[in-house]
Amino acid sequence: MSQIELDVRNLKVFFSTPQGNFLAVNGINFQLHRGETLALVGESGCGKTVSALSILRLLPEPPAKITSGEIIFAGRNLLSLNAKQMREIRGKEIAMIFQDPMTSLNPVLTVGQQVIETLLRHKSLNKKEALKISAQLLGKVELPSPEEKLKQFPHQLSGGMRQRVMIAMALACEPKILIADEPTTALDVLIQAQILELLENLKNETGMSMLLITHDLGVVTEIAERVMVMYAGEGLETGSTKDLLDSPHHPYTKGLISSRPHLGSTREKGQRLTEISGSVPSPHQRPTGCAFHPRCDWSTEQCKTQKPLLQTPNQNRQFSCHLQPGSI
Amino acid sequence: MTDSPSFLEVRNLKKHFPPRKIILQNNTAPVRAVDGISFTLKEGETLGLVGESGCGKSTAARTLLRLEIPTSGSVHFKGKNLASLSETELRNQRKEMQMIFQDPFSSINPRRKISDVLREPFVIHGFKENISEAVVKLLDQVGLSSDYVNRYSHEMSGGQLQRVGIARAIALNPTLVVADEPVSALDVSIQAQIINLMMDLREKLGIAFLFISHDMSIVEYFCDRVAVMYLGKIVEIASSEEIYKRPAHPYTEALINAVPGIESGQQKQKLKVRGDIPDPSSPPQGCSFHTRCPLKEKQCEEMEPNLKEVASGHYVACLLKEG
Repeated sequence: MSQIELDVRNLKVFFSTPQGNFLAVNGINFQLHRGETLALVGESGCGKTVSALSILRLLPEPPAKITSGEIIFAGRNLLSLNAKQMREIRGKEIAMIFQDPMTSLNPVLTVGQQVIETLLRHKSLNKKEALKISAQLLGKVELPSPEEKLKQFPHQLSGGMRQRVMIAMALACEPKILIADEPTTALDVLIQAQILELLENLKNETGMSMLLITHDLGVVTEIAERVMVMYAGEGLETGSTKDLLDSPHHPYTKGLISSRPHLGSTREKGQRLTEISGSVPSPHQRPTGCAFHPRCDWSTEQCKTQKPLLQTPNQNRQFSCHLQPGSI
Repeated sequence: MTDSPSFLEVRNLKKHFPPRKIILQNNTAPVRAVDGISFTLKEGETLGLVGESGCGKSTAARTLLRLEIPTSGSVHFKGKNLASLSETELRNQRKEMQMIFQDPFSSINPRRKISDVLREPFVIHGFKENISEAVVKLLDQVGLSSDYVNRYSHEMSGGQLQRVGIARAIALNPTLVVADEPVSALDVSIQAQIINLMMDLREKLGIAFLFISHDMSIVEYFCDRVAVMYLGKIVEIASSEEIYKRPAHPYTEALINAVPGIESGQQKQKLKVRGDIPDPSSPPQGCSFHTRCPLKEKQCEEMEPNLKEVASGHYVACLLKEG
């Protein structure tokens, strides 16, 4: 087993809003190994982004509050660090790229001004040196004519180019971990393929670990080695990507896989897609017992009252369900 | 073209938007959002319109319904030229041509109750009796209980609200429904529900669909025929079975290849496309795809390809497939 880069243990994140209080993340556990890509998959509101933001302590407090858990990185619990210590980690050790590159870049600063910011903050460089490195970084993310791009503003770039700039900024200090929150969701399918390939290449080149947040199982198969499926703030199933997609143990995982039409699957006339009934529960009204039971075809009385324990059928697989592995 | 009036016939439809006037800049070229597209649709048939954002697929749909005034070209719906109709005639015709929008939260008025949203089509078209019963029946058809009549849009989930959007579109028994990315704003587990609902309604009511999407796997699943658009033009059109098995245009092939697949193991020979879609106000000379095409030849920079039939009902606009 390779070395553990990041260890998240029993993380709970609480939100207090005018509509009431709720747990957005309800005790999740996962390990990110060195050099691997782990995907957190789930629908909107399942807590995947909140989990990622907690790692970098980027959640606004209040309304958010991390009520329990540990996030161990390089022997230290990130949750016990003060603001100054956290600043040394953000951008330098752990970097992040966001879904929408248009809103996460500053529209009134040039690309160059934004890329050098991280370099100047974390490395003892002067502006000229930083700009030189920035141009190299833009070249590394395969942007044509990097020197020229440094002088341009975000609105002069296309969506795909902006995301490349975001990636260049994230990689500026050679972080050990890159958190990518829906990095291709706002992009067209051809550009998505380019960005995924770039991320994969950069990861192999630098040996960093990547935490990928996505709702798209297709993207997961392209670049993630392991995957954790989340629902209503909990991790329902974790395993290696191929294994988990070939033989899901949790009914929700199975539902997610089969509710998508697969390219090339021969369509028989009138054949319907397998659907997951109902809708994602509101965080204010988390169902009792197993959170998935109102939508689950296999649900029993036990599921309504009792929260399932984590089962570990083999060392690479964990899932939390009352069903035995292999019964769906 | 034959004389027999087909259900929907679009001929050389163009929609150019005038350039924005920017002070001190000589930007005079119009944006050619839709630049001469032609296709036909049979009764009860589903045509998928695919392409990247900015390729003109939504403008094509809006122009076809005359929500935009076309720059040139014609749209014949059941033999009538929509461009020649007066406002009143057009309004009457619209009973038969409806639209489902991408984001139900922005296409359904948040200040009105669901019952009012669904009453509106009937009121506009002069129905006076039994509207409340009709509304309840509509909700039932889209799988919502009658309890929803007094709700507002913020009290519903995206999937439920999209069902209301579909109910509104089928209220007046249309024969043609244009669905513009109807599931792309929804969660994965809800998408299947909505696709299934539209398939059921299509079968029950015999509606012809123009289905606009960028999701190649949903299009394959839902559509009988597929048209691929690039920079305002249709570059390939064929039955969905044919186009996915034997894509003839390099752009179509790249789109299909780029779909990240759950089917692990099968490493496809990937045709990769570099760069971004060009600015539609100054499209490249020759074949508009040549700037990104991995198979580009010299002739592609000079000559503009036209749609040619390569197999029965399979048309492609690519110089490499000619001769």
